[in-house]
Amino acid sequence: MSAPVFVTAASISAELHQAMIEARGLALTAKNARALAVRAGSKTVGFRAITDFIEELASSIIQQSQTINTFAEHLSLKAVEAWRSNTVNQHFCWLITQNDQYLNSMSRQIQTSNTRNTALEQDLQIGLRKLIDQLDESRKHIRTANLIATSSHVEASSAGDFREQLEVIADNIRETANRIGGHLNRAHVLLNQSHRERKTKC
Amino acid sequence: MLATVIYEEGDHRWIMFGRDPKKAPGIVDSNQYLIQSGDEAILLDPGGIELFAPMLSAVLKYVPADKLTRLFASHQDPDIISSLGLWDQALPDAELYAPGLWESFIRHFGMENTTYKAIPDEGMSIQLGKIQLQFIPAHYLHSSGNFHVWDAKAGILMSGDIGAAIEPHDAPLWVENIDRQIPKMEYFHQRWMPSNDAKLDWIRRVRPLDIKIMAPQHGRLFKPPHVEGFLNWFEELPVGSAIR
Repeated sequence: MSAPVFVTAASISAELHQAMIEARGLALTAKNARALAVRAGSKTVGFRAITDFIEELASSIIQQSQTINTFAEHLSLKAVEAWRSNTVNQHFCWLITQNDQYLNSMSRQIQTSNTRNTALEQDLQIGLRKLIDQLDESRKHIRTANLIATSSHVEASSAGDFREQLEVIADNIRETANRIGGHLNRAHVLLNQSHRERKTKC
Repeated sequence: MLATVIYEEGDHRWIMFGRDPKKAPGIVDSNQYLIQSGDEAILLDPGGIELFAPMLSAVLKYVPADKLTRLFASHQDPDIISSLGLWDQALPDAELYAPGLWESFIRHFGMENTTYKAIPDEGMSIQLGKIQLQFIPAHYLHSSGNFHVWDAKAGILMSGDIGAAIEPHDAPLWVENIDRQIPKMEYFHQRWMPSNDAKLDWIRRVRPLDIKIMAPQHGRLFKPPHVEGFLNWFEELPVGSAIR
């Protein structure tokens, strides 16, 4: 059985938090690469230029992960609100079948609850679509990171004595990018599997 | 949900709800009370989430929603008031009278619309239609912030967990023999009630009242002479049995 949306959104938020931690590691790798490139001198001019891209990329991933993380947390709260509203509606729908003497006195509350429920559901669907777009955008960064890792390998091969160390850094970039990609993919899978609870209207 | 009018005089009445045969297994049966006077009504200890829908339906057989503008929670327990978040949507203009001590805790059940009317430790009185209701302190019986409701005109004391017994949902409504009722109450009172001082303080407060019905939140209701029989038994009962 798939999890309700508020659990999914909280799980996505946790995945993005992990991605952000990995991206911080990537930023550190970029700093190490730059220091090494400076020490290596003219043989690593190309590598030095790449380190700027890595730093920018890491910073971009961190920022985007933070944004998605915050958004997913907000979405989880919204989903709880929608779930609670739907629970109230379910009770009201049952109440309507009971034909109690003063049932009409609940008309306003039932109408308000229906309207609120519909609005919350719409908000939630819009939020989920936005979350999918944000995750897709982040996954583009991972493809870029893999290209950078390949270029780093090429540049490392001409770095003489520093070749081995720069290759380690290039591998590190690829591994970190793949780990971030893993978190983003898991977030995407969670989102696609998320249980769209049928809203009750009466 | 069984609904029984336990007192009626003119437009002043007490209705007891409980003994729900459709209640999910494993959930303690509880008594809820609706007091009406004139054009106003208050629901005492509205119950848990599981009870909400049948309770609302039962209440709407007696009073329109716009006349039920007050709720009362004797304390913070889930069987007393965990349905608050749902009542909050059903009665958007309602006031909840509950112990001030528990305000920031009870709010966890969900309060978007309801106004919390904090009852101070010493208790308070409110006007309901043509009658006065008194919230009598029953602290530490069993909750640290706890109140009972006294309706002097009807002579009814809603006594929360005092006098409670855990019984099957088809148990009779009234105590018929105090000696046979005691075994059903003994463990509950010894284990749930923590303080002998609190117990004696409460007995001192309620003994002068002319109680015609003592209405607990679980089990059967008491009428004289069983009210006095209960007070005498409870007075002698050592409580706080978990501390040895």
